[in-house]
Amino acid sequence: MSHDNPLQHPEVQVASGRGYLLTFLVSTLLMGVALFLVTSHSVAPFGLMLALSLCAGLAVIVQIYFLMHMDLSEAQIWNTFALVLTIPLFILAIGLTAWMFQELYQRTMVMLPGMPGMLH
Amino acid sequence: MLVDLQGPWSPLLGRLALSQIPYENHILAPLFVVVVILGLAIIAAISYFGKWGYLWREWLTTVDHKKIGIMYILIGLVMLFRGFMDALMIRTQQAMAVGPDAPGYLGALHGYLAPYHFGQIYSAHGVIMILLAATPLLVGIMNVIVPLQIGARDMAYPYLNALGLWVTAAAAALVMVSLFVGDFSHNGWFGIAPIFELSYSPGVGVDYWMWVMQLTALGSTLGSINILATVVKMRAPGMTWLRLPIFTWAAVASNIIALTSFPALTVALALIGFDRYLGTHFFTAGLGGNLMLYTNLFWIWGHPEVYFVILPAFGMISEIIPTFSEKPLFGYVTMVLATFGIAGASWAVWLHHFFTMGAGPAVNSFFSVATMLVGIPTGVKVFNWAFTMYRGRLRFETAMLWAVGAVFLLLLGGLTGMMLAIPAINYMVHNSVFVIAHFHQMLLVIVYAIFGAVTYWWPKVFGFKLNEAWGKAVFWLFTAGSVLVFVPMFTLGFMGMTRRLDYVFNTQWQPLLDIQVLGIAVYSLSVLAFVGMLYVSIRDHAKNQVSVDAWGTARSLEWMTPSPVPFYNFAVVPHINARDEWAWRKEHGFTDLRPDHYEDIHMPKNTGIPLILGALMFLLGFGLTWRIWWLCALSLALIIALVIIRSFDSDTGYTIPADEVERMERGHHERARAVDLPAAGVLGGAIAYGQADPAVKGQGAALGGGMTSPEGSRV
Ligand code: HEM
Ligand SMILES: [Cu+2]
Repeated sequence: MSHDNPLQHPEVQVASGRGYLLTFLVSTLLMGVALFLVTSHSVAPFGLMLALSLCAGLAVIVQIYFLMHMDLSEAQIWNTFALVLTIPLFILAIGLTAWMFQELYQRTMVMLPGMPGMLH
Repeated sequence: MLVDLQGPWSPLLGRLALSQIPYENHILAPLFVVVVILGLAIIAAISYFGKWGYLWREWLTTVDHKKIGIMYILIGLVMLFRGFMDALMIRTQQAMAVGPDAPGYLGALHGYLAPYHFGQIYSAHGVIMILLAATPLLVGIMNVIVPLQIGARDMAYPYLNALGLWVTAAAAALVMVSLFVGDFSHNGWFGIAPIFELSYSPGVGVDYWMWVMQLTALGSTLGSINILATVVKMRAPGMTWLRLPIFTWAAVASNIIALTSFPALTVALALIGFDRYLGTHFFTAGLGGNLMLYTNLFWIWGHPEVYFVILPAFGMISEIIPTFSEKPLFGYVTMVLATFGIAGASWAVWLHHFFTMGAGPAVNSFFSVATMLVGIPTGVKVFNWAFTMYRGRLRFETAMLWAVGAVFLLLLGGLTGMMLAIPAINYMVHNSVFVIAHFHQMLLVIVYAIFGAVTYWWPKVFGFKLNEAWGKAVFWLFTAGSVLVFVPMFTLGFMGMTRRLDYVFNTQWQPLLDIQVLGIAVYSLSVLAFVGMLYVSIRDHAKNQVSVDAWGTARSLEWMTPSPVPFYNFAVVPHINARDEWAWRKEHGFTDLRPDHYEDIHMPKNTGIPLILGALMFLLGFGLTWRIWWLCALSLALIIALVIIRSFDSDTGYTIPADEVERMERGHHERARAVDLPAAGVLGGAIAYGQADPAVKGQGAALGGGMTSPEGSRV
């Protein structure tokens, strides 16, 4: 706990050169996959949306793990706390949004091609 | 890759051209002249008195949380005034443009503001009032008070704190520049999809709006990180979570909301940016775009945001009411729980802003119930305040008047909110001025709390009290204005008047609109009274000096510091023994502790980098708005370079030697004694010094002897 070098604190030692590089590569790869899926129209729009969401979810996990070095250790307790706090918000925001749009689509009959329950 | 623009563009100036300067506008051109003259006068005055060095050293480069807080509050007050001028124009235009026979002036068909101009005014009014008046005022007060309340010498990140301030200042500057260079957005404070798309809003107004909002989002996020880290890491020894002053709790809850919700706004605005600059179709009406997606994303931030601004206000009320009831706050733990209940619920209610979108009954019912649940913790708070006052020794000084007024307004705003939360009612009054009246009641809660807080903490920061008589005049004028404006507005809402009208078709509404104009006139008087209050208080400041505990009955830690608070806050970091530490010390006779010896204090150094970064952010925003790409690239590169350079600067602090601290502390004690003497026995005598029960004292001394050793013994 010296004043001289704040980097000595364990809670700020989050990233390493390897971690940065790995995150960068994986994120770029995921972005490339997403771009390819969109430009090649290889999946119907609704499936595309699911696939993109999956890529985004993977990117989040990679960043949390490799870039921010989130773990359950004592030094990272506040990071863990923040994560535990964020997850419900995340589920709430995404889940309720999905639910409301699904209902909206049903009632306005604007459907994404490939959506389950489509009439044609 | 960039979209094709309608109209001219040049590499050097982007979309900027002389024709974008509204020098023919009958309102803006004279205003511009006045602004220039005022600006020159200020610059001349500073030069004449040779204050540039002082300004640079003491203010522009400061990292002191109190000075940063004061500057936040100054920005907030200036923007509050600007927003008020917008309000004045909205009210007068509506009262003048009633019915087809209403005459027109200054080129307008009816009234004096053409629809295009009127749209910019109400949009600017909303953005300014919520993001650049209320938010900076609240952030400023949190900045000043939170470190004092937890016994810290500064924020966790003083440099980041200054950066947050200057980013906010850049946003304020950008919105002000939009007055004189180009137009502002006309699509409301929250942005109406798809009107903000380039094909419907080809000008720069929406771009101004978007980048102003982005800058405020950045500033608020930086600020919230700082306050959270400060409270988590910088509490004085003994300041356990359940001893945190209630305002600090409110700041924590509110900044958690800010930190988690502002990213949603950033994303929503960035996607508009993609649409407008790159030609994507996120929020267009066709081509795969979905405009409801914008509305949804915006309000995912928008509703938590309204609680971000009201929770600190609740915290202020919770500090003021106990002090002027001379009692501890009733139900501290329930108050904390209620604060977090509101914060949590604020995440599950956003759809109540678009019940009429047409989601099914299940969705609407869910959000309706969730919205109404917010009423429970809010009710808990109101009852706690009421029970705090119950059988208290109430003193209706100005700060208390504002706090009690805020509670009344909260009832009005909350109950009308409950009405709006019922989808069946909402279908009738959505987009009517009833909604406007509802949320103005809520925002007035905030304004009342802010005025109360400024009155309450002013003596702590400046060492003298504001004038009571003038303060009360401001309160009553402001309250009269509120009644005269908003009672007719509720009425008009029920009569079906929709919001944002530049022309009012129904001549029967004329009387109610006229009453509102009367109200805004009374508001104007209260603005004058506010200026008068400041003038009289500063003129008589020598007579109104106060020492440590200005109100005599305050309870929390910040009242332990000398007034005005020295830049290092606490010469010795206090040891906390109780929830209401200052009240505890007064009870046990520990108000006059002197340390046996002082130690060196380590403080952060001033730096001009945040100011420069703020200026560059402004240039970046301006460049992006006008699509001056070289300016964007240059300012962005400089921002990145500066941030990197600064991060290699390891010499960011300095040390005040112990004897220097001792000398300054002696000065503070002498001042306190000089101020206290004439008023001895009056200033909070009863509670503070009256309980000279030797038994209690002895016990306290024993306790204190063991626990407060770093602070030394009693004199
Ligand atoms: C008891 C708590 C509250 C309830 C039940 C409530 C309910 C509502 C509802 C249902 C609406 C949507 C009305 C419509 O557009 O049809 C609304 C609008 C609004 N409320 Fe509240 N509200 C509450 C508290 C607050 C607070 C604390 C604030 C701010 C400090 C606030 C600010 C707003 C704003 C700004 C709008 C309108 C935004 C706009 O359309 O421009 N409300 N409120
Ligand atoms: Cu809301």
